Amino acid sequence: MKNREQIRNFSIIAHIDHGKSTLADRLLEQCKAVSQREMEEQLLDNMDLERERGITIKARAVRMEYEADDGKTYEMNLIDTPGHVDFNYEVSRSLAACEGALLVVDAAQGIEAQTLGNTYLAIDAGLEVVPVINKIDLPAADAPRVKKEIEDIIGIPAEDSPEISAKMNLNIHEVLEHIVSDIPAPTGDPDAPLRALIFDSQYDPYKGVIVYMRLMDGTIHPGMKVKMMATGATFQVLECGHLLPLGLSPQQELRAGEVGYFTASIKTVSDTRVGDTVTEADRPTAEALPGYRPARPMVFCGIYTEDGSKYPDLRDALEKLQLNDAALSFEPESSVALGFGFRCGFLGMLHMEVIQERLEREFDLDLVTTLPSVVYEIVKTDGTTVQCDNPHDYHDPAVIDEAREPFVKATIMTPQEYVGNIMPMCQERRGVFKDMQYLDANLVELHYEMPINEIIYDFFDALKARTRGYASLDYEFLDYRPSDLVKVDMLLNGDQVDALSFIVHREKAYGRARRICEKLKENIPRQLFEVPVQAAIGGKVIARETVKAMRKDVLAKCYGGDITRKKKLLEKQKEGKKKMRSLGTVQIPTEAFMAVLKLDEES
Amino acid sequence: MSKFSYNNRPLGLYLHIPFCVKKCAYCDFYSVTDADLMKSYVTALLNHIREYGRTCSGYTVDTVYIGGGTPTCLGPKYLGRILQEVRNKFPLADDAEITVECNPESTDKKVLDVMKKQGVNRLSFGVQSAQEGELKRIGRIHSFAQAKAAVDLAREKGFDNISLDLMYGLPDQTQEMFLDSVEQCLALGPKHLSCYGLKLEPTTPMGRENPVLPDDDAQADTYLAMCELLRKNGFEHYEISNFAKPGFCSRHNSKYWDLSEYLGLGPGAHSFMNGRRFEFARDIKAYINGEDILRDEDEVPTFQRQGEYLMVRLRTAEGVDFIDLEKRYNIDSTPYEEAFRSLMGNELVAHQGTRWYLTEKGFLVSNSIINTIVEAGQEQMESPAPPVFQ
Repeated sequence: MKNREQIRNFSIIAHIDHGKSTLADRLLEQCKAVSQREMEEQLLDNMDLERERGITIKARAVRMEYEADDGKTYEMNLIDTPGHVDFNYEVSRSLAACEGALLVVDAAQGIEAQTLGNTYLAIDAGLEVVPVINKIDLPAADAPRVKKEIEDIIGIPAEDSPEISAKMNLNIHEVLEHIVSDIPAPTGDPDAPLRALIFDSQYDPYKGVIVYMRLMDGTIHPGMKVKMMATGATFQVLECGHLLPLGLSPQQELRAGEVGYFTASIKTVSDTRVGDTVTEADRPTAEALPGYRPARPMVFCGIYTEDGSKYPDLRDALEKLQLNDAALSFEPESSVALGFGFRCGFLGMLHMEVIQERLEREFDLDLVTTLPSVVYEIVKTDGTTVQCDNPHDYHDPAVIDEAREPFVKATIMTPQEYVGNIMPMCQERRGVFKDMQYLDANLVELHYEMPINEIIYDFFDALKARTRGYASLDYEFLDYRPSDLVKVDMLLNGDQVDALSFIVHREKAYGRARRICEKLKENIPRQLFEVPVQAAIGGKVIARETVKAMRKDVLAKCYGGDITRKKKLLEKQKEGKKKMRSLGTVQIPTEAFMAVLKLDEES
Repeated sequence: MSKFSYNNRPLGLYLHIPFCVKKCAYCDFYSVTDADLMKSYVTALLNHIREYGRTCSGYTVDTVYIGGGTPTCLGPKYLGRILQEVRNKFPLADDAEITVECNPESTDKKVLDVMKKQGVNRLSFGVQSAQEGELKRIGRIHSFAQAKAAVDLAREKGFDNISLDLMYGLPDQTQEMFLDSVEQCLALGPKHLSCYGLKLEPTTPMGRENPVLPDDDAQADTYLAMCELLRKNGFEHYEISNFAKPGFCSRHNSKYWDLSEYLGLGPGAHSFMNGRRFEFARDIKAYINGEDILRDEDEVPTFQRQGEYLMVRLRTAEGVDFIDLEKRYNIDSTPYEEAFRSLMGNELVAHQGTRWYLTEKGFLVSNSIINTIVEAGQEQMESPAPPVFQ
């Protein structure tokens, strides 16, 4: 049992690619938390997808022991955090369980908007922030400049910050010493009633839900009856212990200040809400810890399986993913064009992509997804307000008194030379300029209020493209604002294709409708007859293309009596048709839907 | 001859000659270029003719078709022996149509004499194009001048029923170039023309090269222009790719299009007899060794047979008569008729009473149409409520 003075709980804040996971690997290595043999790259990002994309999707915690220069051995709990804005809520969870945070900044790139956002979260949560300048091995590294940036922009001293290269394993020792000296030991009374913060949970088929927590006060041990303060559910603790890099390490007891887990044969993750406080059932604490802002799905889309019979598999897969991803929401929906599927809610576009990829990879499903949409608010003429995340449910304009769309506060950090490129781009996307601040002589922060609808499509990509990758974006939900919204329906051969309808600002309707028509025209194979592709608002057609009738599909030679071969060819053609969606008299290949989804907004 | 009676069932006989001097770049019919195998191949084929001739006493062979490969490259001796053996061993009708595929470069006087002597009465010349550049591009070893000379010579020798093969949709071929080839062929006075669109087969050199071909619209326009030109010249368009002066349709090939019976001998040759389809393996050495490798296909289920029937009939200008169809398969033709009617809007199909057929525009998209029609029938077969078990 460690003395509380010798515990350090910290997380790492870093922009994507600034080397957070590599640094975590090095820290684990130096603390000999894993043997050389077990060491693999990005140990904490153990999802294939995380490794491949070089991103952290889920927060994760790991314990290691460090023998410091002062001769004492410290228990270090690293709580890893995702860097992407979509996963912001995971960050706030992690931070609440820590006393300090390493702020990793790329010595060449400097501070970026999301880093800044997360750093403020940490400072607001009362954490000690320890800047670390990484990648000093790069030719373009300029540590003094970046240190000055940190001091000027964030306002924390950085003069003595470690200058390291996680990749080259340079000065890692210094980072560990800074953790020991700069980050305070946890406080808390081990004799007080149990008070622990749940910062994550993971479903395990054998143990049930594994609850990840940080003990603020009291102790926890197997056999103890605990109560979840928000849900009121009580459980008997079966096992508790530390989170080691390669698995769980059961302990007889965990005490105030420590980070660890417990299991209690908990069947559903919903019983253990992240942010909830765990206390002792027989001796409850008086006051629960402040919880988190719950994750709010911002982007919705329909997910269907290419093969309609796989619908139950899709349901199982979504349920399994939801066990460990409370931010994922889904409910059944059906579409004439696509059959049975689910309306799914996501934190943002990256979250959506990640879930889609996991469904396809981990569950071997072929998916068809509809255009992403945000949640609109509709005030009806009868005075009631309803939410609408599905164009299919959009109300008849006659009963809509006012339609509102969600706006975010967008913060864009950029070298000033790109301001001229960014401003028109934001304006095109209906952004309302608020102000512009010089963070230092060169770095500028732009504040906009923008509809999320305009951000979810390709804003990130466009921003990167127009600033050669130098600008970065952070955003948070602001409010709902009245907006001139219209629902655009797509018609094939006169029949409406429900899965392709979308809600859009009236000014944008024409352009987007035209591009979707073009995409459909490109991707729908010619049929035996001409197929008009139309986009309409209400009954009024606003764009039209035509898929010309098929001209040639013939086997010229049916010779030598080889009927079998011809038959096979026709059968193959028929097989191909099975992969098509039949819409009235028109056959649409799945790719056409996908192409429309990947609509490039630049034009 | 009294070894057959006209009460017998008619049979088409196909003999495959799997030899070529050089393989054409587009062709995936089975053939080899090793002339050393000719002698043993002919021996094996003659044996096969004897063997199968014995089992065909209930038939009257009313069409014989010798194809390839390049039958004429066998030379007069072998070709004569094969034709002679057919006469000896199969019950041949007096008025049988006997066709031999001829390549311009190997159709000389001697070959023509022997064919005439053995009663060959129809020649099909692989001309393919009148443009020297195109001939070279697709790997033909003759010029158009040679083709013209061979046809003239054949006519001199008394062959009047002459068919010419042409190809459209070749790389870099314009409509003008193709129609010029058609005109030049017409000048040779054929009774029959087969005009095939090039299809890139993945196993051929050209398929692997995968050159850019004229696009679908261009090919469709070329096809329709060709149909018009041939109509003006008195040809009937009786099958997707086949045109004939009145009375000169290929009787042998027509068997393929009405599910009549035919026997094919030689590696890669297909047969349809007694409701059974089979094919000899595409392996000349195995064939020579008498390894009688048959690739047999299961007995075709009734409902698939309907599909086959529609598939082959709809290749013809005559099309399918629902009265025949209903009688043949004891079915209700309503779903088929409905499917046909749904296609009338675009002038893809037409009908005369109960006989439905594809128009020339329809021929161009016949695969899709046939699938649509056949599926309509399939739905009917599948729609009856499943039996209820109690």
